[in-house]
Amino acid sequence: MSKLNRPSPTIRLLAGLAVTLLAVGVYSTYTFVQLGALRQLQTETIDRNRRDSLLLLRIQNGLNAVALAMRDMLDTEALAEGPQYPLAAWKPQFRRLRTDLEDALRQERRVSVRATASGQDQYLVDSFRQFWDALDRMFERSEVSEGEARTAIRLSLQARHAAISTAVARLLIQNNESEQEAQARTSQIYRGVQLNVFVFLAAMVIVIVLTSLYLVQYNRRLFHKVEEFSERRSELAQQLIGMQESAFASISRELHDDFGQILTAIGVMLQRADRKAGDLLEVREVVQATLDKVRALSRALHPVVLDEIGLEGAFDDYLPEFEKRTGIEIYYEKCGVARELDREVTIHLYRIMQEALNNVAKHSGSKSARVMLDYATEAVTLEIEDQGRGLGKITGGLGMVSMRERAGMVHGKIEFLEPESGGARVRVTIPLKDNYAG
Amino acid sequence: MKRRSFLLGGLASAGLRAAGGPDPGFRLADITRAAGLDFRHNSGAFGAKYLPETLGPGCAFLDFDGDGLLDILILNGSDWPGHGRGGGAGLRLYRNNGNGTFTDVTQKAGLAVPLYGMGVAVGDFNNDGFPDIYVTAVGQSRLFQNTGKGTFVDVTQKSGLGGRTGLSTSALWFDYDRDGLLDLFVCNYVQWSADHDVFCSVDGKNKSYCTPEAYHGSTCWLFRNRGNGTFEDVTAKSGIFDTSSKSLGVAMLDMGGDGWPDLFVANDTQPNKLYRNQKNGTFEDIAVQAGVAFSDDGKARAGMGVDVADFDNSGTAGIAITNFDDEMMALYHAGKNGAFVDVAGRAGISVPSRRRLGFGCCFADMNLDGHLDLVAVNGHIDETVRNIAGNHGYAQAPHLFLNDGHGGFRDVATEVGGGFATPRVGRGLAYGDIDGDGDVDLLLTTNGGPAYLYRNDVAAGAKSLRLKLRGVKSNREAIGAVVRVTTAEGTQSRMVKTGSSYLSQSELALTFGLGKRDRAERVVVQWPSGGVQEFKGVAAGRFELVEGGRLG
Repeated sequence: MSKLNRPSPTIRLLAGLAVTLLAVGVYSTYTFVQLGALRQLQTETIDRNRRDSLLLLRIQNGLNAVALAMRDMLDTEALAEGPQYPLAAWKPQFRRLRTDLEDALRQERRVSVRATASGQDQYLVDSFRQFWDALDRMFERSEVSEGEARTAIRLSLQARHAAISTAVARLLIQNNESEQEAQARTSQIYRGVQLNVFVFLAAMVIVIVLTSLYLVQYNRRLFHKVEEFSERRSELAQQLIGMQESAFASISRELHDDFGQILTAIGVMLQRADRKAGDLLEVREVVQATLDKVRALSRALHPVVLDEIGLEGAFDDYLPEFEKRTGIEIYYEKCGVARELDREVTIHLYRIMQEALNNVAKHSGSKSARVMLDYATEAVTLEIEDQGRGLGKITGGLGMVSMRERAGMVHGKIEFLEPESGGARVRVTIPLKDNYAG
Repeated sequence: MKRRSFLLGGLASAGLRAAGGPDPGFRLADITRAAGLDFRHNSGAFGAKYLPETLGPGCAFLDFDGDGLLDILILNGSDWPGHGRGGGAGLRLYRNNGNGTFTDVTQKAGLAVPLYGMGVAVGDFNNDGFPDIYVTAVGQSRLFQNTGKGTFVDVTQKSGLGGRTGLSTSALWFDYDRDGLLDLFVCNYVQWSADHDVFCSVDGKNKSYCTPEAYHGSTCWLFRNRGNGTFEDVTAKSGIFDTSSKSLGVAMLDMGGDGWPDLFVANDTQPNKLYRNQKNGTFEDIAVQAGVAFSDDGKARAGMGVDVADFDNSGTAGIAITNFDDEMMALYHAGKNGAFVDVAGRAGISVPSRRRLGFGCCFADMNLDGHLDLVAVNGHIDETVRNIAGNHGYAQAPHLFLNDGHGGFRDVATEVGGGFATPRVGRGLAYGDIDGDGDVDLLLTTNGGPAYLYRNDVAAGAKSLRLKLRGVKSNREAIGAVVRVTTAEGTQSRMVKTGSSYLSQSELALTFGLGKRDRAERVVVQWPSGGVQEFKGVAAGRFELVEGGRLG
């Protein structure tokens, strides 16, 4: 086979694959980096911020409890009748609140993402310390004078408490703001990733479409070429067969017309000289044998009978001869009304019949064969069937090729079948001229 | 000894065990009517929806006349001033006739006192051998001293407990300073008075009962027994004082087994308190450190009732707390480092208790298998609960969690008969052996409804060891004594204690289930005074032990 006049697409496809893989790699890396940044933002900022806010709320709750306790300390007119407890009685309650608040504060500072330099933490810690100091002083004073202690609560403690509460509220607001900021950054990252996905998918679609188009185009050309080659080959084979047939026909005619006539004439002349010489009898026999051989050769090269008595006559002539020569029993049947066929058709059908029977004799090992010729309205069908070994390996032989080409030359269809009952069957169907000419 | 028992064989396998799992090993019989217990709670509700109406009543088992039979005391509310007939006796005393019936002796005993009763703590504060009664109330709570002649005298003012009002709830007697005299701890809920009631509404139009957040908290009280019939208010001095508390239940325990009684206080919507006895007359709240102040998710639950007991026979007491619906009951197991772990989920208590609002709760060995079971009564606050999203019902079925001895509990309320699983608006719960058959019977009260008395009939063959202690050096009722009973299966421990449950008090005698065993290998009694007594090979049955004396 000759090489296609275009280079193989493998290189191009491999290059495309490499580019695609590279694109996927670049894209994945980029996406992972983006996601990593997102995760970091979430754990570093958003999660910590949320936990921080919860802790600030816990501190605010504790401050509330402190405020309620201070209110109760100032509330000298209780709803219920009962003893007035000294202010010192509140000490354990405040101790508990202080433990809880200090724990919350410690945790809050650990979780917080605020810059340590902001000074807010220090302010909060200082404020709390001042509050607890003032509280201790108040309890000390309460041992001397409850009234003065109450004044201290009103003037000092409540004011400090309010300041702390405001500071905590400010931190909560700050947390909220930085959370919003983080939110904005998150959505920015999401937008970037979204765009990336979009671009990546679009690029992938383009690559896939281009590759597909290229492959389709390439295949189309390939098929076209193959078709062309096949046609050219078939044409060549047919030309060959045609040439062979015409050559055979002319040789056959020569043999029949010229040598036949000469040998016949020699035979007649020898007959007349019969009585004169005994040797001549021998010559006459030689001439007769030569004549028979010439006739047989002529028929073999081109069955003149085809031209003279048509396809059926040729069959009637050939089959008994074949039977005699090979010892294979032939069952010959005809169906339908015989019609005059094209010369072309008759010669090829005849040759196919010959080739098929030759195959039967050579390869099948069958003792009998069936030949069937069927004239239908739109086609003529020839079937040659044997009871032998089947087609086996011979399907690719030259004989098969020539049969297929011959059928092709008259627009017919040839089938090589293996019936379930065994053996082989060759079926040629040739449409009649009216049907295919149009 | 009278013993009611039934044959397990044919009857049990017939149909009662449909719920799966082994037979509970006991049945309950509703004997309220047969016993003549005609109590009906009057919450005084007239439409104004006053907060205290939803809380009561409590109940108690006690032997006020010293005849060896458990009598019944049930608290009652009353009509609010200016509404209904006004007033009404705040408590009812029913004497046990010994034949399965009870007689109302309130009038005769001198207890027909008008007051709005809530809870009760029974204890012999003057060590005269007859239990005295402290009744918590809306307004002034009262101390009734037992004369020993079947009557009581109101000694509230004389004892120095007068002159203080509040919305007092549960109370308990214990000897926190170990001087042999019972001191008194009183829970207060919130600062409430009819004159300053707050308007709350679910639908925005009609008044409903307020949640505790609407009110100021109120400190609990601790009164030290001076031994001369009077009490000293040591609330502030002892470190108990806390104005943020909204306390409903209290139980005593001995953390670390140092012999000094500690206290657990269940608070509604406020952190629970675990007061550790500092052995110097003061307490320190270590609830946060011990992990019992909040639920596992850091929220203060609405604690109602509480009981403390060695439910897993590990030697250390765990804590059960009933909470609001959707909060689930808590079951704390004491860990090695003194911190408690909520094992309610693991034990199979969380899920069944999730949709119930629990009040009274008690650990009691109902089937005498040597493993403490957990009984809890439930019921919602508000009858308009149907209108609130996530309706869990006003009347709710009680829980009867059977201890499988392997850390698991199974609710068998529907399997024990007697209509015990009927939904009710349950509040108070107490146990005691009213018929002397060796197992504990149950008394439960309902808000605005009757009280129910359930006789326990354990399966034939289940035996118990019942122990009643009498202190000599210790306080007379040996409150705070710890008894350990060892069998081949392990060692059970129980404390003689008042308080626990919700507004209620169970009998002081201890019941140890021996299962099919005839005797316990060892009985060790650790008296509040510090003395320890040990007995070997004690047969099943009922014993009275005097401190320093012999068993039986």
